[in-house]
Amino acid sequence: MTTAMQRPPLVRSSDRMIAGVCRGLADHLGWPVKYIRLGMVLASFAGGAGLAFYAWLWVMVPTADESARRNSRRPASPIAPSVSMPPSVSMPPAVTAPDGGAQPLPLSAPAPVFASWFRLRRIQYGKEILLGAGLLLVAAILIVRQFGVEVPLGTLIPAAAILGGASIAWMQLDETRRAGLVDKTKADQAGGWVRLAAGLALVVAGVLVMVSGSGSWEQTWLALLASIAVLGGVALVLLPWGLKFWKDLETERAARVRETERAEIAAHLHDSVLQTLALIQRRAGSEQDVVRLARAQERELRTWLYRDAAKDAGLLAERIAAAAAEVEDAHGHAVDVVSVGDAAMTDRHEALVLAAREAMHNAARHGGGAVSVYLESSDTGSEVFVRDRGPGFDPDAVPEDRLGVKESIIGRMKRHGGTAVINSNSEGTEVRLKLPVENADKAENRNGEAKA
Amino acid sequence: MSGTPEEIKPEQVIPGQVPRKVRVVIVDDHAIFRSGLKADLDSRIDVVGEAGTVEQAIAVIAEVQPEVVLLDVHLPGGLGGGGREVISASSALRGSTSFLALSVSDAAEDVVAVIRAGARGYVTKTISGPEISDAVIRVADGDAVFSPRLAGFVLDAFGTSPAEIADDELDRLSARELEVMRLIARGYSYKEVAKELFISIKTVETHVSAVLRKLQLSSRHELTKWAAERRLL
Repeated sequence: MTTAMQRPPLVRSSDRMIAGVCRGLADHLGWPVKYIRLGMVLASFAGGAGLAFYAWLWVMVPTADESARRNSRRPASPIAPSVSMPPSVSMPPAVTAPDGGAQPLPLSAPAPVFASWFRLRRIQYGKEILLGAGLLLVAAILIVRQFGVEVPLGTLIPAAAILGGASIAWMQLDETRRAGLVDKTKADQAGGWVRLAAGLALVVAGVLVMVSGSGSWEQTWLALLASIAVLGGVALVLLPWGLKFWKDLETERAARVRETERAEIAAHLHDSVLQTLALIQRRAGSEQDVVRLARAQERELRTWLYRDAAKDAGLLAERIAAAAAEVEDAHGHAVDVVSVGDAAMTDRHEALVLAAREAMHNAARHGGGAVSVYLESSDTGSEVFVRDRGPGFDPDAVPEDRLGVKESIIGRMKRHGGTAVINSNSEGTEVRLKLPVENADKAENRNGEAKA
Repeated sequence: MSGTPEEIKPEQVIPGQVPRKVRVVIVDDHAIFRSGLKADLDSRIDVVGEAGTVEQAIAVIAEVQPEVVLLDVHLPGGLGGGGREVISASSALRGSTSFLALSVSDAAEDVVAVIRAGARGYVTKTISGPEISDAVIRVADGDAVFSPRLAGFVLDAFGTSPAEIADDELDRLSARELEVMRLIARGYSYKEVAKELFISIKTVETHVSAVLRKLQLSSRHELTKWAAERRLL
């Protein structure tokens, strides 16, 4: 039981002789690939059975890549997170896992585990088992006929057709329901229609053959025409209802999505804005606290409202903004960040962020007012300017033991190949941090050498 | 805040300027904000009208014909165009009335849309009283007012490399204009920009006005693309 579950999935291997079928089969069964190949060749001499089997597997078994792609696509529905689906409809991802081995079920409850294990197994291999049983049945009938036993094929074939058609159609319904009417990618929809049509055709043909008693083609043809006419009439009558139901369903779904959105916004406002307003009312006496609370809330709300979803998190501009927010919270002075361009984070950029943060801390601490931060990133490098409106200081007169400016800003920038310039006068102080792109420097050096 | 007297830098009275009052209309849908702003504006400014919706704004502006309209970007009423709609509807007064956009919004598309509609500047609502008064006077004198954030948007939209001579003049900023924009983005006032670049305040104003004109008139592919991308937020 456990060995069966831990067996690698049946996929066509990339390490192959013809199409990777034998290798894949060997991996799946855990047999040596030599025997499989030998068996396949031997079977080919038995009326071409090996060839047929090989061809069938070639067509039916996906390659490893295809299998991986399909499995990764399945659980991720693009709108699934925005629509709240009842848990019974959505399938747990473990079901679609290729090996079926990863089941996040607690072992403390044996009975449900066993039941659900069965359910999972049935869903996973049910179709294949059914198909196999059907094929065995067909083979048995053919063999029995060879031995001269009369088999009522005239009744069996139409009956089988009806059964097959109905099951195909119902399977379709089951899958639509399983996907919660959400995963409406075009390919899936087309497949669904094909399946429905095939099921319908099989059922209709089966019924016709059965009713007309396997009569002549002409009779069947006439009956088929008649039934199509009837079906068309019924469809014409039912179409308006069907459309109406469909529209209602769509409206309801849209309403549900809106409702979910509204609930999310309400929850966010409640958690953030209302709480902050309550805090502000209680601390109305302290001007600094009120300003700090209001700034923090404004920042949070802005991030939530105007956040650029396409922008990657963890880039330089975002880190600088986060550092500014931290300083703002710590000192209660506004820190306005303007950024132009962006750059990916590296260790050197990390140093730039830390130096900028130190500069912002100093500006907020000694400047005593609003702090302006400007970040510009381009192909040649990144620059950060931190400016305050404080009384200013003489950078040369900073005592040696004060490490803030000397070590955390200037030293740090130098160590990472950048520069830091402090410009201070009675109208304020500006710290200019510059971090050139490393490769550009090297390229320039190389060009210089080439010229020389 | 207690430690901010350094921030307050009232514009020095320019010699030769007649001590007249600038007539201003405030357009904002929040009455509390309107009254707060009115109290913040200093004695050089005379608020002659207020409006809370697009329709009211168009009517009031046409009636009192102010020199400057302080205009919120987001306004109820009209066709839903907000401040932009007010500017377009008041195009008959283009020569005599200037618009200064005020917004809490940081979103680039709001700001750039209202500038491209014809506003002479853009400031955030957190601006201090003396600063907003200076901005109003500046706009009344026909100059442009850029906040650090707007300067950042401009640099983002036009790129940070200077124009080649062969380029279409409208589509890029000159090296000098880039320098001015950078300094404004860094939080410099016009006076400080002038000092830093060793030019006169008047020259700084000329550069800023040129940038504003480019921002309004440029059909630069990147600019429109940039605005369109930002609208997809």
